[in-house]
Amino acid sequence: MTLQARQISKAYGVQRVLDRLTLSVDAGEVVCLLGPNGAGKTTLILTLSGLQKPDSGEVLWDGQAAGASALKLRRSIGLILHQPFLYEHLTGCENLRFYSLLYETGHSEADLRKLMGRVGLANARPIPVRGFSRGMKQRLTIARALLCDPRVLLFDEPYTGLDQQGCGMLNQLVQEENARGKLILLTTHELSFIRQIATRFDVLHRGKIADSIPNDGISLDLLQEHYNTVVSAGGTRQKELA
Amino acid sequence: MRAWLHSVRVLVWKDLLQEWRSRDIVTSMLAFAVLSLFIFNYALELSPINRAEIAPGIIWVVMVFAGTLGLNRSFTAEQDQGCFEGLMMAVPDLSAIYFAKLLTNMLMMIFLAVLVIPIYSLLYNQSLFNWAFLGVLGLGAWGYSAAGTLISSMTVQTRMRDLLLPVLLFPLLLPVNMAVVKSCGVLLGTVAGQDIRGWLNLLLVYDAVVTTLSLLVFEYVIQE
Amino acid sequence: MSYKNKLLPLLSGFAFLLVLFAFIRMLFFTPVEQTMGLVQKVFYFHMSAAWVGMLAFLASAVFGLLYLSRKDLKWDTLTAASVEVGLLFTVICIISGMIWARPIWNTWWTWDPRLTTVTIMAFTYIAFMLLRRGVDNPIRRARFSAIYAIVGFLSVPLTFFSARLLRTIHPVVFGGGETDMNLNPQMLVTLFISLGAFTVLYVALLLHRARLMAQQEELNQLQAAADGSYDWGA
Repeated sequence: MTLQARQISKAYGVQRVLDRLTLSVDAGEVVCLLGPNGAGKTTLILTLSGLQKPDSGEVLWDGQAAGASALKLRRSIGLILHQPFLYEHLTGCENLRFYSLLYETGHSEADLRKLMGRVGLANARPIPVRGFSRGMKQRLTIARALLCDPRVLLFDEPYTGLDQQGCGMLNQLVQEENARGKLILLTTHELSFIRQIATRFDVLHRGKIADSIPNDGISLDLLQEHYNTVVSAGGTRQKELA
Repeated sequence: MRAWLHSVRVLVWKDLLQEWRSRDIVTSMLAFAVLSLFIFNYALELSPINRAEIAPGIIWVVMVFAGTLGLNRSFTAEQDQGCFEGLMMAVPDLSAIYFAKLLTNMLMMIFLAVLVIPIYSLLYNQSLFNWAFLGVLGLGAWGYSAAGTLISSMTVQTRMRDLLLPVLLFPLLLPVNMAVVKSCGVLLGTVAGQDIRGWLNLLLVYDAVVTTLSLLVFEYVIQE
Repeated sequence: MSYKNKLLPLLSGFAFLLVLFAFIRMLFFTPVEQTMGLVQKVFYFHMSAAWVGMLAFLASAVFGLLYLSRKDLKWDTLTAASVEVGLLFTVICIISGMIWARPIWNTWWTWDPRLTTVTIMAFTYIAFMLLRRGVDNPIRRARFSAIYAIVGFLSVPLTFFSARLLRTIHPVVFGGGETDMNLNPQMLVTLFISLGAFTVLYVALLLHRARLMAQQEELNQLQAAADGSYDWGA
């Protein structure tokens, strides 16, 4: 499976966030999207997932636009955004059961328990989610994203709220999914953790993929330096008027 | 179609379970409604005959105002926890989200009516138990929820939220208000017998038009 | 967005002349109505204002539909401008109605259904303007305005039919009933001239308002881009 963004542009009024951006991710890759705040990483994730339509350009799956199979495609994407998508008065398990019913995955109670175990919530008490810590909510969000056994993972800042153990758990999960041939794209600022699992780093700057750095064992310092060079090219980022 | 109905069913289950757990909405709606009945008693010092005549009006007004409490909370979970995006990735069509919310809101209104009407009967010694009356209230609740769900899905995304809902909703409800109050008056026998078919037709047309329109435009409300 | 600057002053001038013509004709060249006397002459502008109010709301619903299908913000500007102008004319209609009612029905206001309907309609459009104030993101504001304009407009015939089901004391100009107002041909001609004049006036005001709104929005965006303060909530 291949995901392609071709000449994607998106502007919010006069502010151009994505400017004829082109990107390609294959199954089996773990692509990490880097960029300063406000660079458009979230906008790009929203566009790739189909939740937002670009002003121009197209998103292609295996060379074709979503079209008639849009629902099937949406349901095969595991999405994590800044907010957890959780219902505060339901327990962790009930949240998962709700989404599994909605996705018609056919999970049993045991399956859901196993999934919660995978994200380290096996011993979580059956209390409403509003009693969960931020880290626990993030773990549950990850479980929710993996519920429909998605072929594609689009994670926006998935390390948010996770402790060291949690970050390790996430890395392990991503590697397991990667080994199963999934297509993975995530955004983060946690270079130290992502460096362990990413196959490639794409730097988003001025609405385009300014640079693409393969992860051939690059050191953290070198990666940081490379990133800084790219984003500071041409001085402070000018807001372009449409 | 099957998938659409299935997702509506799951969404309604989730909303009812949320409400069962928290009991925020129904308890405040009920408290508000009963207190309003008390206020009406002192505000309108009426003879039993006059009171009997305006019973449908009072019941409906109380339901309309108490209903806004429920409507305001309809979409707060989806908005504040980002659940809109989660649902959008899973449902076959965005209209399913609207329809499920409409059913949930309607069920809450009916539940409110089921509690308020016996309380009213008790307080004012007037029996309001009449299937036709309840049926018309049900139709009114449908129209109210149809318009209310659409409006609240918009106001929850604005700065003013709760403040804006009544201002936007009430002007749209005039046909429902008139139809419900006028036909209930006749059905309860407190107003001289008139032909209420016109009112019922109007109510049905309103319910159908607003529901259909909302199903069509809902995707524009939540999709950027 | 630019409107042809040459046409708009011409249109405005034409509208002004037409309204003046209608006014003069109404005052001096139209017979006085038998039962109601001189105050009945308010009727021509009252009904024209009512007509324009309705037209403006229909137009706003149509512009709203066009926005939803084309996603061009110029349609949103037209929707908002049409609602504002329509609201203005509806208020003129209500006030002129009151001026007419006082000598005839001996009261400023009744709970006559048609009055109630028109007033509720005015409230719908005040609500529309409040809605616009409550949304900062221009794209979201445009979508919500379009939806509310369409829903609000559709509620108008429903409200009207509700009112028709109740007995009315409002004179029915066309369509029979006890309280008919009989218009002779000269009066009818004056009426149609007024309707036409007000319609042209509406179009001129609409374009003026839309142009002003568009320029204001552009200025806001440029200002915000300059100091980086635009919150798109995205």
